[in-house]
Amino acid sequence: MNLINSNIKKILITIVVLAVFISILFLSVLDIKVRDKFETALWTIPAKVYARSLDISEGTYLNKNIFVKELEIIGYKKTYAASSPGEYSIKNRKVEVFLKGFDNQYKKQDKGRFIIAFSKKDKVLSIKREDGIFVDFISLEPLAIGGMYPSHMEDRMPVEWSDVPQELIDIIVSVEDQDFFNHKGFSFKAITRALFRNLRATSVVEGGSTITQQLTKSLFFSPEQTLTRKIMELIVSLLIEIHYSKEEILLAYINDVHLSQVGNRSINGFGLASEHFFGTSIKSLDLDQMALLVGMLKGPSIYNPRRFPERAKKRRDLVLSILNKSDVFSKQRIELELSKPISVISPRYGSKTKYPAFQDLVRLDLRNQFSDKELRVNGLQVHTNIEPVTQEITQKNLTLILKELNQKYKQNLNDLQSAVVIIKVGSGEIVSLVGSSNPNNFGFNRALNAFRPMGSLMKPVVYLAALKRHDQYNLNTIIDDSKLIVSLPEGGAWEPNNFDEEFHGKIPMHEALWQSYNIATARIGMDIGVDVVLEDLYELGYTKKKIPLPSYLIGSIEMSPLEIAEIYQTLASDGFHTELRAVSYVSDLNNNNIWVNQLKLQQRFRSEDIHLLKFPLRQIFERGTARGYSKDILDKWNAGGKTGTSNDQRDSWFAGYAGDYLVIVWLGFDDNRKTPLTGRSGALKVWKAIIEDLNPLAQRSAIPKRIKYLWVNIKDGLLSGENCKNSVYMPFISGFEPKRVSLKSKNCMNVLMPYKTKIYKKINKIMDGLSEN
Amino acid sequence: MKIKILIFLVYIIFSIGCAISNQKIDLRESESIIDFAEDLKGLLADKRSLRNEVKNINAKKPAVQRIVFLADKLWSDGNEIDAVLSLERALRIAKDEPSIYLRLAHIRLEEGFLEESKSFASKGLMISDISSWERVLLTIYLNIDS
Repeated sequence: MNLINSNIKKILITIVVLAVFISILFLSVLDIKVRDKFETALWTIPAKVYARSLDISEGTYLNKNIFVKELEIIGYKKTYAASSPGEYSIKNRKVEVFLKGFDNQYKKQDKGRFIIAFSKKDKVLSIKREDGIFVDFISLEPLAIGGMYPSHMEDRMPVEWSDVPQELIDIIVSVEDQDFFNHKGFSFKAITRALFRNLRATSVVEGGSTITQQLTKSLFFSPEQTLTRKIMELIVSLLIEIHYSKEEILLAYINDVHLSQVGNRSINGFGLASEHFFGTSIKSLDLDQMALLVGMLKGPSIYNPRRFPERAKKRRDLVLSILNKSDVFSKQRIELELSKPISVISPRYGSKTKYPAFQDLVRLDLRNQFSDKELRVNGLQVHTNIEPVTQEITQKNLTLILKELNQKYKQNLNDLQSAVVIIKVGSGEIVSLVGSSNPNNFGFNRALNAFRPMGSLMKPVVYLAALKRHDQYNLNTIIDDSKLIVSLPEGGAWEPNNFDEEFHGKIPMHEALWQSYNIATARIGMDIGVDVVLEDLYELGYTKKKIPLPSYLIGSIEMSPLEIAEIYQTLASDGFHTELRAVSYVSDLNNNNIWVNQLKLQQRFRSEDIHLLKFPLRQIFERGTARGYSKDILDKWNAGGKTGTSNDQRDSWFAGYAGDYLVIVWLGFDDNRKTPLTGRSGALKVWKAIIEDLNPLAQRSAIPKRIKYLWVNIKDGLLSGENCKNSVYMPFISGFEPKRVSLKSKNCMNVLMPYKTKIYKKINKIMDGLSEN
Repeated sequence: MKIKILIFLVYIIFSIGCAISNQKIDLRESESIIDFAEDLKGLLADKRSLRNEVKNINAKKPAVQRIVFLADKLWSDGNEIDAVLSLERALRIAKDEPSIYLRLAHIRLEEGFLEESKSFASKGLMISDISSWERVLLTIYLNIDS
């Protein structure tokens, strides 16, 4: 019997020792997990992607409607008088706006009311602060256009203890856990009180969980209610209380609590919730706003102030009445807060990423600089160059024109695809990008990945290569547009044809370009060499090396719209190449810029050669395939461009610049079948609609030193006069201009002075007078 | 007939010009030109003097000047990256400010990107509204070879 007892005793001791060992092991593992989660996972913050912030400065050109549209896009509400942050009003040519303010170190804008006066010609006349002081410029906060979320989709904006207002701490403690600063993780008093109240109300009106328990629940457990889970919750709460101070626990709670859901995106913490609902920081919250947020803790969905404002107000008032009882705030203050209506801003962005095609490009740019993990957890702020208004204008007009084309051609153009790239000339900033006919959908991004024959968009490259040879070519060099057969080295022949399938004989070079004649272009290209033309193509920004083929001269080379944008950027910016940039800079949580995608400028062509080329590119608008605008408009935009249509009209292209915008448009089918569209009847229509909405103003630049303008006869390429028939005033490189006078122009021009200045005219008048006398 | 009268007029104007000019211009004696030449020599020899000279060039638009001022401060603090970011911001407001291109040309020069420095200078020289001194400074960057 004793032996049995002894054995039982031993077994029991073993079991107890084992149980203690397992418990210690379990607690140790749990402890490690708790600390790990508390110190790392809680602070994971997804990268945020922002559009560029708009600067409005006195004396610069800015269309009032574009400014107002930008305000709407970033969530400002139109009112009769802008009285609180996030509101604006319009009075004639003045816009009054109450800025929300922001500070990201690189840029800062104080909160406040400003009146911006615009002139009839869309110039910012003045910017006046509400105290009457005129300021030089103001900045609108950048629009958040997306984020790079971890799998749990939790988004937060962590705050420091010093950022949290004492009033918010008082409200949270008063409402959620009055004994917070006294208990050790759980409160028998609170549990008993909750039990008593719930029994009296015969329903659950009060929870007994402390703030520590709520945090524990949120961090470690699913919402299911079981006894085991309750016990575990108590253990973890105790562990948290052992390791961390009350301030650390409360701060973790403030940063972690779930306060709203927008699609898949979970809004966590008071920092992000302040921004999300009120467009302000946690430091700037008013008492009623704090009460509203604390009230929402009970049910973020059912007390969502955007969806259920009345219910949310009742809940907020209940919180305020609890405060009234707790004597933390004066009765008068509470009365004042109770009288305030619920006021929340429109959400700045939802869970859906805005502008998906552009975001593709942002990801590509970032992938070379940061790891996926860094992007998902380090709270990076990615500042891009996208202009929200330009992007919205692009999307709207593309959709509109596609609809019109569908109606016009009465064919099945439903699956006609498209891509648009808009670049800021000179800086290479990508300000808008659309990669599909459904701009809001993710999917195949044609702006980046559709490689299609560029058609006549190649021609300016050939002409540039020719115009660089000053002793061989000028704009008025006569080119032969008659039958051309090129023998190929591997046998056979290549015979280019014109779009109209006709020959045009001897024509000046500039006309060959603006009329987009294939044969004349091929003849020039063959004369200077395909390899030489390709070298210039590489200099313009194309990076894929090609074996020279004659058909490349008239555009059989395949490129994506983005690649074409890089080439045309160099042309539009007078020969200065710069890499195209979607991202401007990336900063960390402390607002330190950790990567800046700097402007890298390289002069690849002489500005005078580009100046020559721009003449026929402008002629395309005056009398070529893009004709239809008045001289005044073209002068204002300083526009130039080129249509492109690939074989059998499979691709419709237009590449054109106006003001400081370069817009590339492509239309076509994914399966490469024929379209009824040419560059003029398809892509150009989209280009026009976008640019007409943007209505940019070009800045004047100096005419390059070596450029000389002369009147010349377009038939024979020789000197002519202003009053002579077939005369065109065009640029030449000084020293390489025509010297001989056209026989056809001898009677209508003054040979000695081919260009009449005011002084010459005056002297001529005086001399005429003297001769008469 | 016209040509003869024109030659006569030009001769008269030339004679009057010579008559009212009572002394010959001797470039070697012009102090201002000597100073100017010395200044240029100094600027070409010393990048620090050039940098100071560039920092003295103000923007025409007050808004741009404010940003340029901020960029100068960052630059002085050794934070060229953020200075360039500010100058790019200034460029977004106004592309016709030589003061911005001068600073970008100098920063690139200090960073050792000679070709980029020249490109910024060349771009600056394309601005139509530019003072002679700004033109001279930009041209200096075009001619620096090391």
